Amino acid sequence: MIARVEHLTFCYPGGGPPALSDVSLQIGTGEVIALLGPSGSGKSTLLRALAGLVPHFHGGRFAGRVTVAGLDTRTTRPAELAGRVATVFQDPEDQVVMARVANEVAFGLENIGTAPAEIWQRVDEALTAVDALHLRDRLTFELSGGELQRICLASALALRPELILLDEPTSQLDSDGAEDFLAAAEGLGGAVVLSEQRIDRALSLATRVLFVEGGRLLLDAPRDEAGDWLAAHRPRYAPGAPESLRPSPPTESPPILSISGVSYAYSPGVLVLDEADLVVRRGEVVVLEGPNGSGKTTLAKIIAGLLEPDAGRVECAGRIGMLLQDPGRYLVRESVLEEAALAVDGDHARARAALDRVGLDALVERHPRDLSSGERERLGLAAVAVAEPDLLILDEPTRGIDPDRKAAIAAWLENYAASGRAVLVATHDRSFPAHRRVSLSKEVLVAV
Amino acid sequence: MKLAPVPATLLFASAGVAGLLASHLIPLAALTLVLLGVCLRAPARRRRPYLYGALATGLGIFIFSPLLAVEGYNVLWQGGPTFPVLGQLGVTTEELRTAALNGLRLSALALAFSAYALLVDHDRLVAAAGFAPRSAFAVALATRLVPSLERDAGGLSDAVRGRGIRVSGASGHAKLLSPLVAGSLERAVNLAEAMEARGFGRQTRTHAPGLPWTSLDRIALAGGAFLVVAGALWL
Repeated sequence: MIARVEHLTFCYPGGGPPALSDVSLQIGTGEVIALLGPSGSGKSTLLRALAGLVPHFHGGRFAGRVTVAGLDTRTTRPAELAGRVATVFQDPEDQVVMARVANEVAFGLENIGTAPAEIWQRVDEALTAVDALHLRDRLTFELSGGELQRICLASALALRPELILLDEPTSQLDSDGAEDFLAAAEGLGGAVVLSEQRIDRALSLATRVLFVEGGRLLLDAPRDEAGDWLAAHRPRYAPGAPESLRPSPPTESPPILSISGVSYAYSPGVLVLDEADLVVRRGEVVVLEGPNGSGKTTLAKIIAGLLEPDAGRVECAGRIGMLLQDPGRYLVRESVLEEAALAVDGDHARARAALDRVGLDALVERHPRDLSSGERERLGLAAVAVAEPDLLILDEPTRGIDPDRKAAIAAWLENYAASGRAVLVATHDRSFPAHRRVSLSKEVLVAV
Repeated sequence: MKLAPVPATLLFASAGVAGLLASHLIPLAALTLVLLGVCLRAPARRRRPYLYGALATGLGIFIFSPLLAVEGYNVLWQGGPTFPVLGQLGVTTEELRTAALNGLRLSALALAFSAYALLVDHDRLVAAAGFAPRSAFAVALATRLVPSLERDAGGLSDAVRGRGIRVSGASGHAKLLSPLVAGSLERAVNLAEAMEARGFGRQTRTHAPGLPWTSLDRIALAGGAFLVVAGALWL
């Protein structure tokens, strides 16, 4: 037994309902546990409790007991648990410490007192395990989000922990990259607890499934049994769950966007886009898909006018609005209402209507940074959609979003498009419902 | 970079000092060219702003200082409007020589710093710091976060432009300063949490061994010392 959680109840400082209520479970060696549940259900808090960060780093009221590798987390600081436990957080940018990749992977090893003679060997082994040895001497701030996520996993694997905690670690990886990533974590031999919103990905690896909702552990069962429970009680979380929305293509309508021959290179000779063509019609929801580095975000930014193409033509019959990746990071006003009203010259009536559409009407006076991550994402969407652009572009809108919310966003976007506008979604989430899917591939680099 | 961080840093520092001390044009130009060649080993995208800054500063000194200085008798050109304090503009051979010398000095110093910034492994340099390692680490971490800050600033600007709002001028960008700082504080808290989870602060810390110094490293150290002496006495 690696970890044991006994009747854990935890409230963050500042009051509010418990983030975890009377949670009990045990984790054995070799188990791969999928931790599922809606956003804000307590998954990340449970992972932090297993790492000792709750309560040591966050404070709050803690009742019950968590032991990891025989150590009581109430009396053992997270830094002392490091090595036995390793955590990979959702956003790699927020956990990278060093400037060079090899030094970054060595950082944890140095902290836990690994014998100096072993360090570089273990660094190379870990980088090899995540297929990132070629990045060894690169600067961390030059890497893409997907590459950084692999470096973060390598940093965790290098510690050879008994328990590895993964908090939505593949959010910036395409499908193939995510499978390799999780296989590397599974190959560690210790126990793995994986919190994921891409359910099929998590369930394909898991031996056991936990489902948390409202801070309570509703399900703790082997994968096969869990599949039946999920199908009966939370169908959107069931393996192979059908898409909640199966829209039929709209009838032929006039194009709102037409691009032809668009090329772009971030540095001379290295083309990200090579003569891409695309037409989007009114009423359509179009998904722009492709692996990491295929140019989805670049094309979206060119369409939105945030980048100038090196060659080609972009024509849009109307106004364009774009929601960037991770919009919760880019909020600029002091209240939710002001944030939503920014794009409509402070028109509070329109801002309230936009907030109402995304379910934030009760939070208008709150500071945007006091919202949960899911609420921030919705605020970002409201802040762009409030101006009712003819073409709404969203870059990875389902990153870290639970299946229920994803279905709600998809339905909302379909309605938005049905009102005579259009939506273009850049994502590597293959399950995102759309009228049409357009592929950008690394080999071809041409949108059809 | 084949040199270990400490000898590389000392060598670049020595080259910068030698550049400042030098008073002969040709050896100073040669030193500047060598430093430029060293900087060209860095990736093109990273080196561009450094080289632009270093060379543009030197060139600026060379172009403008002869117009402002009053030195020498061999007048090459005189004319234009008469300015208060400066008088009529003019350029002499002596002024040109001094301007070239000062321009090269500044370029050499800037290129030496560029080579340090672009090519030295700062993580390992900090690890090699025998004194105040925590403070050295904090400085290195702050340096590491500068690119994140730049990216966040770009992201904020793009996010606002994505909503159809123009961000222009100093006042437009100044409005993004407060959310940028708030975002940085949030990132710092997340980073602190991640560092704690990775064992930072434990008493048992070890250090990954640097590569043992090679004869090249020793030559670099000796070369650095020679450069300073040469800069003071002969260059």
